[in-house]
Amino acid sequence: MERAGVGDRWRPPRGRHRLPPEIVARSQRKRLLEAAVRVVAEKGYGAMTIGDLTKAAGVSRTTFYELFEDKEACFLAAYDNAVEMLVRRVIKAYETQQAWPDRAAAGLAALLETLAEEPALARLSLIDVGRAGPAAQRRYRNAIQRLTPLFDDGRDFAPGGRGLPANTSRMAIGGVTGLIADELVAGRADQLPGLLSDVLFATLVPYIGPDAAAREVERLTR
Amino acid sequence: MNLSGLIEKEHLPAGREDLAEPLVAHSQRERILVAMAKSCSTKGYNATTIADICEPAGVSRATFYELFKDKEECFHAAMEVSLADAMGRILSVYSPDKPWATMVRDAAAEFLDLLASRPAFARMALVEAPSSGDRAFELYASGKRVLQSLLDRGRDDPVEEEAIPSSAGRAALSGAESLIVGQILAGNADRLRELLPDIVYITTVPYLGQEEALRQAREAERTLSSPGG
Repeated sequence: MERAGVGDRWRPPRGRHRLPPEIVARSQRKRLLEAAVRVVAEKGYGAMTIGDLTKAAGVSRTTFYELFEDKEACFLAAYDNAVEMLVRRVIKAYETQQAWPDRAAAGLAALLETLAEEPALARLSLIDVGRAGPAAQRRYRNAIQRLTPLFDDGRDFAPGGRGLPANTSRMAIGGVTGLIADELVAGRADQLPGLLSDVLFATLVPYIGPDAAAREVERLTR
Repeated sequence: MNLSGLIEKEHLPAGREDLAEPLVAHSQRERILVAMAKSCSTKGYNATTIADICEPAGVSRATFYELFKDKEECFHAAMEVSLADAMGRILSVYSPDKPWATMVRDAAAEFLDLLASRPAFARMALVEAPSSGDRAFELYASGKRVLQSLLDRGRDDPVEEEAIPSSAGRAALSGAESLIVGQILAGNADRLRELLPDIVYITTVPYLGQEEALRQAREAERTLSSPGG
């Protein structure tokens, strides 16, 4: 038995060193998604080719087409990945605090820090998604709306919250993402954490008014 | 504030090239611009080909290239027309004697009506241009700066409030824009006017406070139901 075991080692069975195909595919998929983030940051979605993606990920064209139907499918998958990560981080930070303004400040700070650390991801999530056609634009809007419950909490917190316009949360989110996008377009991703008091004010003001919002911003960003 | 001076400073045309309403394209050039806007709104600017523009416009490729150097120049021209219309509409309700909140409401109402009457141009100007990253983006951005300065004027009316960040007007405008774009992407451009009270609220609340902003929003709601308002 023992000798047979030794003999086995001398004649390794075929494919023993290979990873199971589904693990290989998963790693190739992951490399392609990372490549999509990098390539989009370098040359933009419009100019990106399948060749750029396969080269950056070190996979063959055949592999690419086994995993994705086309360039758009790969971009959208990379996008979903990025958004999932961002939303998770924001919610986690948000939940560390109690009062709504404190929660909003923690969530927004996490958002700004993550985007500043990964400017390529930031561009992909907030800027390039608009260039990838109607499907990507709808995807972007759905992703953003996942943050709506965090803003809706402001209604419960604010004394007159129930009487606010129906679209208050959507507009507050639009204000925050608009301010962030302006910084990204201006090439100031690294300075995003400095935007906290501005985005916090934009978040709070529709719910609690300018005076209370200014006081809370002062307290929370001191 | 001199709004027309501001529009000029941004090198924006104002109402110079107003297309007929309803949009009837008389010239080949107009038909091409309409086809460009429509193709942008159905398949996006990137995917739009010259053929997508020429066929519905009923012009040959040769005609297209006589009028425009390339797709980008055509897109830019379509954006210029849209902006000229938008600036013309806003100038038509602008008066230095009007209270700021009334002017914001009237300008927003004009803007929403214009977008609702030209859904393809609306989509091109607010969805495609912001992400096109070329000269069309600059046009979009300069139009937005004019609207923003209109909102920033609320800062000294009625009180100068130092604690309010200078970005408050820009954030409010982005909030309103995101609501409008959502409505357009959902295929509800014809119902844009319904957003007026919400837009009045978000744009006035940083300077007027909640109570007064809600009052302005309710007033805007009344103009929706009043005939011809």
